[in-house]
Amino acid sequence: MKDLRRYYFFACMLLIWGMLLAGCATEHRFINKVKFKGTNSIIVTFAGPVEDGWAKNISNYAAYEKPDPDIRLKIARVSLSPDKRTVTLTFEDELNQQQAHILSVKDIISEGKSQGTAFLTVKKLYFGYLFSILIGAMIIGNFVFTKYLGLCVFFGTSQKKTTAIGMGITFTIVIVFASMMSWFLYQFVLKPFRLDFLQIVVFIGLVSLSVQAVDTILRKVNPALFKAFGVYLVLVIANCIVIAVPLLLADNEYNAWESLMLAIGAGLGFLIALFLMSCVRERLEISNVPHTYRGLPIAFIVAGLFALAFMGFSGMVIF
Amino acid sequence: MDPVLIKLALGGLVVLGCIGIFFGIGLGLAANKFAVKINPKVEEVLEALAGAQ
Repeated sequence: MKDLRRYYFFACMLLIWGMLLAGCATEHRFINKVKFKGTNSIIVTFAGPVEDGWAKNISNYAAYEKPDPDIRLKIARVSLSPDKRTVTLTFEDELNQQQAHILSVKDIISEGKSQGTAFLTVKKLYFGYLFSILIGAMIIGNFVFTKYLGLCVFFGTSQKKTTAIGMGITFTIVIVFASMMSWFLYQFVLKPFRLDFLQIVVFIGLVSLSVQAVDTILRKVNPALFKAFGVYLVLVIANCIVIAVPLLLADNEYNAWESLMLAIGAGLGFLIALFLMSCVRERLEISNVPHTYRGLPIAFIVAGLFALAFMGFSGMVIF
Repeated sequence: MDPVLIKLALGGLVVLGCIGIFFGIGLGLAANKFAVKINPKVEEVLEALAGAQ
């Protein structure tokens, strides 16, 4: 029994370590840096000097926007810096820098040796990109008010401020936990075994598993908090945001940090939505609502007004 | 049937089974480690009381 426990601990540690490594790994060992420059060029910095003839051959490079691999962007010219480590690719058209670009560099030749083919992701200002995912999931594309997901839990737990905040916090914890696990399983188990058609089944299992785990651990570690969460912890399973986020991040091929940001954003967005709604509903308790509208009907109208207000954020671009 | 599909299906069964066993053991160990002892007398006393509400 004790041995089993130790092995299990080691297996978990190994999993977490692998996940962190995969999250921070650089994309190709021979390439130091890729970034946008100006409106229509990309700079690639190599770890060592590359060969002249290879670097100046346009057919060695291909670039496309991440969502449309079929549309190749036309490269106008390639120039190599005097120290032969930096290549500047100039494109015919302006690049849409909000989108991540994939740049493939074929058979890199450096000092007579081949360094293999590299597929690079070019993104504008990485931390800004992460931040824009966070704000995008939290406010601009709020899951409740712009995508209309998770409504039954939203109306069920937004009657009082205290329950709303409790539910929001529980939800954020569970969604971060569940979506990181499903990201890991999707990238390292489902995709290599070509089982991505089973993603919905696996993700639902993972969500209920993480809810069960949080429930078991919290019951022992912090009984007061457990009592405060009460029935909401189990209600998280019935929330469809918690299954939408893993599906979204599998669809968009996000990496570990981007998935983390999407999950935190979705959780905090739900917390904000619940808090706003509970404030209004507490006020509605003491106001004179027509008899037919009392209770849920007026709550739906208020939610619709919130959705209208949140439409004001739509199309906003950060960074 | 196409042998590739059969291979895929069997592989899927094995992989999902492994995932299930792994997390099942994990949850079992967690439940064991974080078990909360409930005094059996609590329930007996509650049973014995009138407690209509």
